[in-house]
Formats: sequence, structure tokens, C-alpha cells
Amino acid sequence: MFNYIKGEIYRLLNKKSMYIFFGIFAAVYILFALVNSRMGDGYNSKSIIDHAYELFMFLPVVLGGYLFGSLYNDDLTSKNLTTLVGYGLSKLKIVLSKLVLITLFSAVVFGLIPLVMTAVFAILGAAPTAAALGTVYIKAFVALLTTVAFSALTGIVVYGLQRKTFAMVLYVLLSFGIISQLISMLLNSDIIRGIAPNLDKHLMTGITDRIEQGLTSGQPVILIFIEYIIYVAVALTLSVLAFHKKELEF
Amino acid sequence: MKQTMLKTHGLTKKYGQFTALNQASLTLEQGDIYGLVGRNGAGKTTFFKCVMGLAKPTAGEIEIGGSSANLNEARQQIGFMINAAFFPYLNPKQNLEYLAMIKGITDKGEIERLLKLVQLDGVKKPFKAFSMGMKQRLGLAAALMGRPPIVVLDEPINGLDPQGIADIRNILQLENEKNGTTFIVSSHILSELDLVATRFGFIEQGNLVKEISHTELHEHTKKALVIEVDDGQKALAVLQSKFGITDVSVDGNKLVLESNVEKSNVIARALFNEGLELFRLSPQETTLEEYFMGLVGGQNV
Repeated sequence: MFNYIKGEIYRLLNKKSMYIFFGIFAAVYILFALVNSRMGDGYNSKSIIDHAYELFMFLPVVLGGYLFGSLYNDDLTSKNLTTLVGYGLSKLKIVLSKLVLITLFSAVVFGLIPLVMTAVFAILGAAPTAAALGTVYIKAFVALLTTVAFSALTGIVVYGLQRKTFAMVLYVLLSFGIISQLISMLLNSDIIRGIAPNLDKHLMTGITDRIEQGLTSGQPVILIFIEYIIYVAVALTLSVLAFHKKELEF
Repeated sequence: MKQTMLKTHGLTKKYGQFTALNQASLTLEQGDIYGLVGRNGAGKTTFFKCVMGLAKPTAGEIEIGGSSANLNEARQQIGFMINAAFFPYLNPKQNLEYLAMIKGITDKGEIERLLKLVQLDGVKKPFKAFSMGMKQRLGLAAALMGRPPIVVLDEPINGLDPQGIADIRNILQLENEKNGTTFIVSSHILSELDLVATRFGFIEQGNLVKEISHTELHEHTKKALVIEVDDGQKALAVLQSKFGITDVSVDGNKLVLESNVEKSNVIARALFNEGLELFRLSPQETTLEEYFMGLVGGQNV
């Protein structure tokens, strides 16, 4: 499993398009920040928070989506799953390794973004306060959790259907919150609310929202974290089962 | 006695009502270059998929290195190529380095050795820009990585030019002789398989209909003598009266002798002396393809 993780890190670090993607993203962000700084009252030491609220709305889709595609979908494009299984790597280890990898890469990416934002704001003369940076890091942490959870959920489709387009569309729908909204509408219908009220707070978007609120307000979040971990564990279990059931595509 | 490297007992794979592989029992011994022969959809790839754990057999047993316990671990002794599948954005060296990491191979010289062996050393372009031949050669390099005792190759010479085919044949023979690598290879190009394989397995509609060694095969595919003259009936009379030959098939002025192949010079002289004009006199051996056709009664491989 460690060898596989090592190999995957090597693979992604040698994927040139990844550097191009993140380079373009950084350039667009800097340009956006520059243009925004010239508008209205300009930036102050707390402006980074407003920026973070806007930015982290779509980062799990854009950056998380890219990472998901590179880590999960590349295996389908290159039929790498056949190689891995043929080499005797167990399906459980493959699924677990992917979760470790998406967590690792998301941690690096979402860990660096607040630093990039800080540098940009500092250059623009609006260096954030420590408290403001802390708030940005909470947003980044929640984006990390969202990316990992939605990747784990979409993993069921990756391993169960082995259809990359379907997997990518599902990831985007999940991270845009479209599926969550649809389920939420269903859960808030009179019939279901009559039986079990407030179920929508147990959707992944509800869980990450509660984690964010808890971390922001300093409330304990341990129980919500356990709920999050159960969610991911169930997704992993279903992925492994689906992988065992589905024959590898050639 | 040779060690059994791979053995299947009654290996069966069904997809719903369709039986892709039916009770296939195959034995691969150390040092074999085993040619698995069958037409499209005969069950060759399904057999490989079951062996490599890529498809779950409906019934039957697989033994790798004499054991059927912990097949996942045993599969680590097998190199394989079923479709040359690599990351499109990595160059050959990077793709092999990735696989080496996964296999836990730390010897950096191994990648250089393989790239030289398949003549891809120094190639910097990514896999997506490769020709079919280059893809096949990289697939072979990956299968040979770490000198595995068993190598499974599914159609390794598909899409290759004559030089590429010869190169792959030479690599197989070299690795077999030098490292004692045991190969199981499927191919549609039966003449090529005939040049390299030491044993054959013939598969048809999921059934492994026959296993035979190269020597046994060539005993079965005995030679015949083909004669073309200006008067077939007169030639037949000469052969019967002078040589007592009866196993002759006559098609107009063309005669095919199943015996006395070694007497071609004497036969030629006798026919000439009887005033016959001789247009052709040549030995002919049943090819592997003809043998296969005879076995399965089919048209195309």
C-alpha cells in the first residue's frame, strides 16, 4: 500500500498539466484580487475573509474536481486498475490508498491557498490579521473535508461502474450542492418531516456546515467529526464492495 | 522434473447464460513458452483475466507456483500485458518508474535495462504520442519488470511491423533462455507463435480442446509431397506401378502424396523418364493455422 501511495505521488508530481492548471488558477486569482482591490474602498486587514467566503464556495468544485480527476479518473483513462489488481494489490488497499492520497493532496492544496491569499493581500497592502487568517484556514479545512467526502462518495461510482464521465459529473453535482439540495427538498417534504424531522443536517453538506460553525464559534465538534468519519467509512465500504462486484473494464 | 508454474483446474467463467470459459485445465511448466491459440472471443483473454484476478471465475481453481492459497501475493510473481495500458502524459521511463515503485523494485538499473531491451531508451515523448509498436514494446517492458518467473502476454505482436514482430520474438527467446522466464502468449499470428512457442493450447468457444508440445505438433503436421504434371492420371499410374504408392490424392493434374516425401528425387526422375512434364514438385507441411482449423473446423483465426 505504501509503495502504491509512493508511486501515485510520483505520478502526480510528473503530471505537467497539474502545474499548468494550478499556475493558471493562481494567475486568474491574482488578477481577480488585483482588479477587486481597485474597486470600492479597496482592501483592509479583514477583506481576506470576504474573499475566502467567495473563493471557497467553488474551490471544492474546481480544485477538488481537478484532484479527483487526477487521482481517480486517470486510473480509468489509462486502465491502471487492471495493472494494480493484476500486480496483486488488493482492492481494499487500492480504495484506502486513494482516500489517503486525496486527503494528502487536498491538505497540501487547501493548506497553501490561505498562504497564497495572505501573500497577495500583503502585496496589495492589506495583510490579514491572525484571526482573519484563522477564519480563512477554517474555510480551507472545510473545503478539504468536502473534497475528501465527495471523492469517497463518488469513489463508489468510480469502482462500481468504472465510467469516468459519469464519475466526474457526479462529483461536480455533489460539490456544487445540487444533489444535496434535491435530497434536502425530499427530506423537507411533509411526509418525511412528519416521520423524521431535521434529517438534512445529516447530509454531508449539513455535516460540513456544522463543523464550520463549530470551529468558528469554538463549540465542540467531535461528535460531528465522528458522524463525518462514519459517512466516509460507509462510502469506502460501499466502494470496496462495488469494486469486488464489478469486473474490471478493458 | 519441471516445476509447475501455473495450473488451472476446470476454470469456468460465465456471463449470465454465456459461457466464456468452460472447464479450462491448463498446465504451464517452468521454461515453457506456451502459445494459447484461439480465434476472437474464444476465451483467451477471459482465461488471462481469471488468472490475473481481473475477473472472478464462476468455478474452478488456479494454482500459481504450486499453491492456490493467497493468489494476490502469488500474482506478484507474474508480469503481464493485457492491453498496453499506461498513463498518457508520462514518458516511457516515468511510466516504468511508476510501476517499479508499485512493485517495490528499487534497482534503478532495471528500468534502463528494460528500456534498452525494448529499444525505448532515450525516448522522451509521452505515451499518448506513441505508435502502436512503441506501446506494445513498453507493455512488454512492463511485463518483464523485475524478472518475474511467469509472464502473461495477450496479443503482444498485434499491430506490429515485421521488424517489431521479430524484435519481440527475440526478446521472448532471450528472456526465456537467459532468465528461464516462463511465458504464456496468445496471438492471432499463428505462424509467428509457431516460431517461438514450445507448447500450445488450443481454445475454442471457451473450451481448451487440446494441449500439445511443439515436437508433438510437428509430428502431427507431417509433410506431404505436392506434384504438378501435364497428365495427372498418367502420373498416378506411374506412382502406383513403380513405387506402390496408394495414399495419393488427385485433383486434376495436381497430386498430393502423404508418404515417400523423402524420395522426391527418385519420383521426379521416374515421372520424367515416363515422358511426363513436371511443373512442380515440392514438400509441403501443414501449418499451425491449418492444424488449428482442422482441430476446430473453423474458417478464421
